[in-house]
Amino acid sequence: MAELTVEVPGLALSNPLMLASGIQGGSAAALHRVAASRCGGLVSKSIGPEKREIYPGPVCVEAMDSVVLNAMGLPNPGVEAFTNMMRENEFSKPMLVSIFGPDAESFANIATQMEDAGATALELNLSCPHSKPGSRSLIVGQQPELIKEYVSAVKQAVNIPIYAKLTPNTAQIAIEAGAALEAGADGISMINTVSALEVDPYAGRPIIGNLLCGMSGPAIRPIAQRKLAEVALAMRRGEIPEAPILAMGGITTGLDVARFIMLGASAVQIGSALIYGDVATFGQIEKELGDFMDVSGYKDLESMRGIALDSMEGLN
Amino acid sequence: MSLPAAPQNRAEDFDLQALSDACSERLKSEFNQAGKIATPIPLPIVEVVEEAEGVATIWLQVPTELAAAYKPGQYFMCWNPYDNKGKMDNRNFNSEKPYSVGNIRIDSTGIDDKTAADVGQHGRTQIGFTIKNLGRQSGELTRMARGDWLAIRGPFGTTFPTPHSGSTLILVSGGIGSTPMHMAAKEARNKLGNRVQIHAIMGFRNAAESHYVELMEKLCDSLTITTDDGSLGIHGYPTAPLEALLQSVEPQQTTLLTCGPEPMMKPVLQMAVDSGMSCYAAMERYLPCSVAACGLCMVGDKLTCRDGPVMSGDWLLAQDDFGQNH
Ligand SMILES: Cc1cc2nc3c(=O)[nH]c(=O)nc-3n(C[C@H](O)[C@H](O)[C@H](O)COP(=O)(O)O)c2cc1C
Ligand code: FES
Repeated sequence: MAELTVEVPGLALSNPLMLASGIQGGSAAALHRVAASRCGGLVSKSIGPEKREIYPGPVCVEAMDSVVLNAMGLPNPGVEAFTNMMRENEFSKPMLVSIFGPDAESFANIATQMEDAGATALELNLSCPHSKPGSRSLIVGQQPELIKEYVSAVKQAVNIPIYAKLTPNTAQIAIEAGAALEAGADGISMINTVSALEVDPYAGRPIIGNLLCGMSGPAIRPIAQRKLAEVALAMRRGEIPEAPILAMGGITTGLDVARFIMLGASAVQIGSALIYGDVATFGQIEKELGDFMDVSGYKDLESMRGIALDSMEGLN
Repeated sequence: MSLPAAPQNRAEDFDLQALSDACSERLKSEFNQAGKIATPIPLPIVEVVEEAEGVATIWLQVPTELAAAYKPGQYFMCWNPYDNKGKMDNRNFNSEKPYSVGNIRIDSTGIDDKTAADVGQHGRTQIGFTIKNLGRQSGELTRMARGDWLAIRGPFGTTFPTPHSGSTLILVSGGIGSTPMHMAAKEARNKLGNRVQIHAIMGFRNAAESHYVELMEKLCDSLTITTDDGSLGIHGYPTAPLEALLQSVEPQQTTLLTCGPEPMMKPVLQMAVDSGMSCYAAMERYLPCSVAACGLCMVGDKLTCRDGPVMSGDWLLAQDDFGQNH
């Protein structure tokens, strides 16, 4: 049997399959439910400074086979309630805690509270707008200067490892990855949802309550692989610092996991697949991955990591 | 000003039937691999029937396949893309909420010949959502009119067990929990005729909000109404007549189904469990996403949207977070 364990900063994972942020993971009950599955690790819902309610629906739909659209509005219990919950609960799997806020100071503040409550690693959800007037039309993750500001603020505030979660909605994602790593991020999570919009022709308006939405699910898998390759190749070439990557975007099978590991990912995150198959999906993907590695002769993840990048060395 | 695609802007001679036919036809092409409509598909409302004070039934024309795919207990997500003035707002008047089907009318070639008396207006299949004004979106839905848009996706979730020949069903509803109880009674009667005994207890706050009484009378061997204020039927909660009813049946052959507010369902399920019969509840929780994504519909270690809404009474009674109002 192939060895599936993997260690990344702050997290010792029993397999490389982590829950992605925002799918089910906002409460103790929901996190325990996922932890009881065959996942290797958890990522919490993105937690902000205060409790936020979910947007009026529709908030998440399968617009067609393989296409998931969502605009939930970052519903979350707020940092105070979440840290209380963390103190009262022990999860059976390691948890990366995802956070967001209106500015760098707020990020740093939430990060400190999470560290105090026992978080062993943080993921910074940079797909949120900055509160400063004038920079609202872009999200933080599209502005390398702001990425640097946010990451350094958090880095100075805490001692635990931090992962910067990148948006795919930029021209050259290696620039944003470089900004995060130069500012001290210990790892990269990628990708968040692809910006999207779907109109219903009879209703004559977008089908998501929030109008604008993000796309995930199998349809974005090739986009996620392309973005991952851009970052991993930039690391190989020494253009940006090397660091572990938690990759995601449309993973639903064990073979999909292999694609991302072969492009240099250390571990993966899985979100939309739960909409199709719920938490049982983790067990299925784990088995498919193990079977694939056995039959192909990969004894562990390390022997598979980055091999597809070799075929792309000539690219510039 | 209403928005351009809102019903308010249709010409006087607009052919609503042609639009209903086209939208119903479109639904057929939207079934996914799992046999569900996974994205909200707008349908023009065919008819709105006022059932009681603040309670209305919205009828939609759907392909027979969709009505046939529906099993009692399941729900559809229902979204009004515009409010009843053809506008959009951000204060939850336009939103998407789960509703279980209250009634189905099927044409004479359809699956349900026992409902020939209810043949849909144009001999076409229709599903009816009976909605009680309990908040912004549900209130807005009760104020909708023929021609207004209602988008649906589903059917989602678990179903009641199918009754077998020679068995007895006890149906206990509170308020708008009447709708899945009606569909359960209708399906049992259609499948088993007089080879099933159906006893129903319907609880309401008062006479003014009582509804579905005639429909249930036709289907059930006995029907008892209770009201909190005594303005109709027995004064009190459904638990009082249930006590006597439970004495009169054979527990091994009986299944109790219930739907309503959790503080009502909890003692009802407890009585059923104590008397040794199997029992199930259709949970009326707010399901923000319906697709196992938000994680905001947990009861115990289950997601109501996916592992419910129909859950076994034994299991529910063991959960700390079951039994309060939501
Ligand atoms: C319903 C839903 C909610 C999400 N919420 C968050 C969130 O709170 N924070 C975040 O960083 N990403 C969020 N995401 C993005 C996912 O974590 C992930 O980056 C993206 O969906 C791609 O992976 P997938 O195709 O496996 O879903 C959300 C995605 C979905 C579908
Ligand atoms: S309604 Fe969102 S997970 Fe159940």
